[in-house]
Amino acid sequence: MSELFVELFSEEIPAKLQINARNELKKNIKNFFIDNQIKFNEDFNVYSTPNRLVLHIDKIPNEIKLNSEEIRGPNVNAPEKALEGFIRSNNTTLEKIFKKSTEKGEFYFFKKEPRKIKVSDLLEKNLSEILTKITWNKSMKWANYDLYWGRPLKSILAIFNKKPLNFVFNHINSSNKTFTDKSLEEGLKIFNDFNSYIKFFKQKGILIDQDLRKKIIQNKINEIINKKNLKVEQNERLIDEIVNIVEKPAVIICDFDKKFLNVPSEILITTMQSHQKYLPTFDEKNNLTNNFFVVSDIKDTKGFVKLGNERVIEARLNDAEFFWEKNKTQNLVKQVDKLKNINYFKGLGSYFDKIQRMRKLSSLISDDFLISKDKIEIASSICKVDLMSDLVGEFPELQGIVGGHFAKFQGFDKEVCLAVSEQYLPNGMESKLPKKMYSIALSLSDKLDSLVGFFGINLKPTSSKDPYAIRRMAISLVRLIVENETKIKLKDLIVYTCSAYRDQGYDFDTKKIQNELSDFIIERLKNYLKEKKIRQDIIESSTFLLGLDDLLKAYKKSLCLNKNIKKEIGFETIAAYKRSSNILNTEEKISMETLGFADPGLFKNDYEKKLYKKINDIRKYFLSIGKDENYEESLKILSSIKNEVNDFFDNVIVNDEDIIIKKNRLELLNMLCKTFDNYFNFSKIEA
Amino acid sequence: MVYKTKKKTLSFQDTIFNLQKYWSKKGCVILQPYDLEVGAGTFHPATTLRSLGPKPWKTAYVQPSRRPTDGRYGDNPNRLQHYYQFQVLIKPSPKEIKKMYLNSLSSIGINYEEHDIRFVEDDWESPTLGAAGLGWEVWCDGMEVTQFTYFQQMAGVECKPVSVEITYGLERLCMFIQNKKSVFDLIWNDEGITYKDVFHKSEKEFSAYNFEYANTDNLFKIFEMLEEETKLLVEKKISLPAYDQCLKCSHVFNILDARGVISVAQRAEYIARIRELTKSIGKVWIESQS
Repeated sequence: MSELFVELFSEEIPAKLQINARNELKKNIKNFFIDNQIKFNEDFNVYSTPNRLVLHIDKIPNEIKLNSEEIRGPNVNAPEKALEGFIRSNNTTLEKIFKKSTEKGEFYFFKKEPRKIKVSDLLEKNLSEILTKITWNKSMKWANYDLYWGRPLKSILAIFNKKPLNFVFNHINSSNKTFTDKSLEEGLKIFNDFNSYIKFFKQKGILIDQDLRKKIIQNKINEIINKKNLKVEQNERLIDEIVNIVEKPAVIICDFDKKFLNVPSEILITTMQSHQKYLPTFDEKNNLTNNFFVVSDIKDTKGFVKLGNERVIEARLNDAEFFWEKNKTQNLVKQVDKLKNINYFKGLGSYFDKIQRMRKLSSLISDDFLISKDKIEIASSICKVDLMSDLVGEFPELQGIVGGHFAKFQGFDKEVCLAVSEQYLPNGMESKLPKKMYSIALSLSDKLDSLVGFFGINLKPTSSKDPYAIRRMAISLVRLIVENETKIKLKDLIVYTCSAYRDQGYDFDTKKIQNELSDFIIERLKNYLKEKKIRQDIIESSTFLLGLDDLLKAYKKSLCLNKNIKKEIGFETIAAYKRSSNILNTEEKISMETLGFADPGLFKNDYEKKLYKKINDIRKYFLSIGKDENYEESLKILSSIKNEVNDFFDNVIVNDEDIIIKKNRLELLNMLCKTFDNYFNFSKIEA
Repeated sequence: MVYKTKKKTLSFQDTIFNLQKYWSKKGCVILQPYDLEVGAGTFHPATTLRSLGPKPWKTAYVQPSRRPTDGRYGDNPNRLQHYYQFQVLIKPSPKEIKKMYLNSLSSIGINYEEHDIRFVEDDWESPTLGAAGLGWEVWCDGMEVTQFTYFQQMAGVECKPVSVEITYGLERLCMFIQNKKSVFDLIWNDEGITYKDVFHKSEKEFSAYNFEYANTDNLFKIFEMLEEETKLLVEKKISLPAYDQCLKCSHVFNILDARGVISVAQRAEYIARIRELTKSIGKVWIESQS
């Protein structure tokens, strides 16, 4: 049993590309072993540092046996050249070729003797292709070479069973050597196995294993925060990025001048995280502190690293503070007019136009929400002003949040400030959801205005492209409605948005927008339900012929049925429906023109009468429930028809000789199905 | 008493001299700044045009760079509308370029073994040049001191061979070396002249010009004239004069942008117009190279 050990040495590969390359390499090599039926330790790993991509697999046999096999060649009637080619490609002679009949005709055959293949030979032959198969999200060329790689690839070390594997990958020859000094790309050294390689680097403080690096970083941080009574936010994305931009992590705690804590914390946090990859810290009350972590790639023996980073953050925070002080006093209301100069989107006017539309829309929504029209109109008017501030110029990801802070500083109503701050939320499936009515109203009107606008100028996303993240916008809209149980008339709101655009002179095809947008939003609801692990058939049923105003209902009904489908009320409801609809489906419908009701005068027995009565009772139930339907109760009522249905089918033959009787019985079953449609159309449910 | 011998701080001009000497020894043609207003060292024809075509090329030079929107009237310690870049361009990119770069830091007093030097992903794109590259910004103890880019495309043309471009932000670098918090406190030479003595007045006046006084009506007209001239010169197939006109266009656009008279939609359109000029010039240049 042997080990395969490969190291690809390159200039610094960015974190995301590294992670992707690890996964790709792992997948490709695994497929190679499986395809070639070579045993290997499936519990293997691919490691990386910014400069090294390392593959290590052990428990690989040195040889594999290939059984004897008959290889089919050309048809006996094929031209002679085909046979010659067949002989050549199998490296054999004419004497060893024989004819054999198969279902498809008579063919030439060649019998390959059982043989052994060295795994090292196979690897040498295939490694180059395995590497070629790595797909990069972004790759580059360098110098005169044709190879595409994440960053310039400098050398390949490849070992099997302690011996070098020799192959050529584009312009690079593999060997048993690598550069031990990643900075100067010097210090060539031979390695014959993975263990000595790992050991060598460990002595230099370099950790090849990313998981180990992560553990060490986290342990060190925890040690310090426990001592100092601090907290750090669990930010996996940032930690994973940090882990993959260092090879010998050293955690350094730094601080900045406390005076900067007067600047809104979001601004400080963004400066630290996204610009500098620092980890901010918080006190027990979750307030930001002036301590932060730097993960350095060298031991800071002379204190240069700490000093340098503290100077950098000070310069950055100085800038942020300067902008904050300058922007916060600039009167939001007085600036609204200036939004006329800022284009919202080509073909959709300026931001000033947009807030006019949003104001109308949010004011209409305020009627449904029973909130103050004045307040929501104020929020709509000022919500985009922060786009003109230096701060949003510097920190575009803080749009809205910064505006909220300006509003707060200038003494606007608390709910208005929060609404401005949360106007872009939620932003997709995972993001935080606003809970306050003003915030929901503002976010809804922002999203509706955008959706209608983009559909209006025909910039709908295609199956592969969605450059304006319109899908995310619609998913967010769906979440606002279903997760907050928001009762709005979405259809009317879309019509109203269209008319707001028309009032500004946009020549939109309102009918078309309504239809397309309606389908689009319902499609997003389906995706949403899928994410919530609702059964596909339930999703199909709940959204069948769904009106836009019933998103919330559809959501709740599918949730309810999904939960109960294996329980009695779900199971019996579906059984009753299916028994009835199956008969309706098998009977030839051509002869049947349904009236929509059965004639009690034509009933021949009690079973029919009882079923009829039960159906009418259920109908009465559905007529009596108002807006506050309890969906579990509805399912329970539907399932209670079980006995009447069973008795009917056990004792009544639908297919009566008398066509009139038969028709009447089919009408009765049709009534049952139609009544069940009050919940939703069960026909798509798989029993 | 024992006196600690204090190492002499490298002045701003000595930093430039050292870098010039270093890259000169590496075989670069040391050029002087291009004599037109440009936004970055990349715009120098020794980079844009010379990075196109098959001929090998090595150069290094200082380039004064103008970014009108970054002006702060000399009030901000970190921002200038006029600053210096030290630019290195080598085609094809040499195998040992990282080593060369790290040693160049040593030549200006930064021992890479004592600092946290990091190559942080930063892919570069210049819409006006129709250019794109992959590379890093180089951090020294958290401060960005250099842009390091492998050109993949220039003037809309795929680069073959690929050039590597190294751009040092000289002010930032010197602030790091001299341990200064404000760019204006930088020591320019050994006579005690500071950056403030040399440039503060100019920052103040040019900010006023860029933000307040530039005559936008005229500039719009000048842009049109320059654009027309560029097109004419492209037809005559003289790429270098054509490129000069195009650079002027680009600077006029930058001032108009700083004056805030270009809307978002217009902005994209102007950038596209300049890109079209660059592309047509690149084409003429390449034809002359083969």
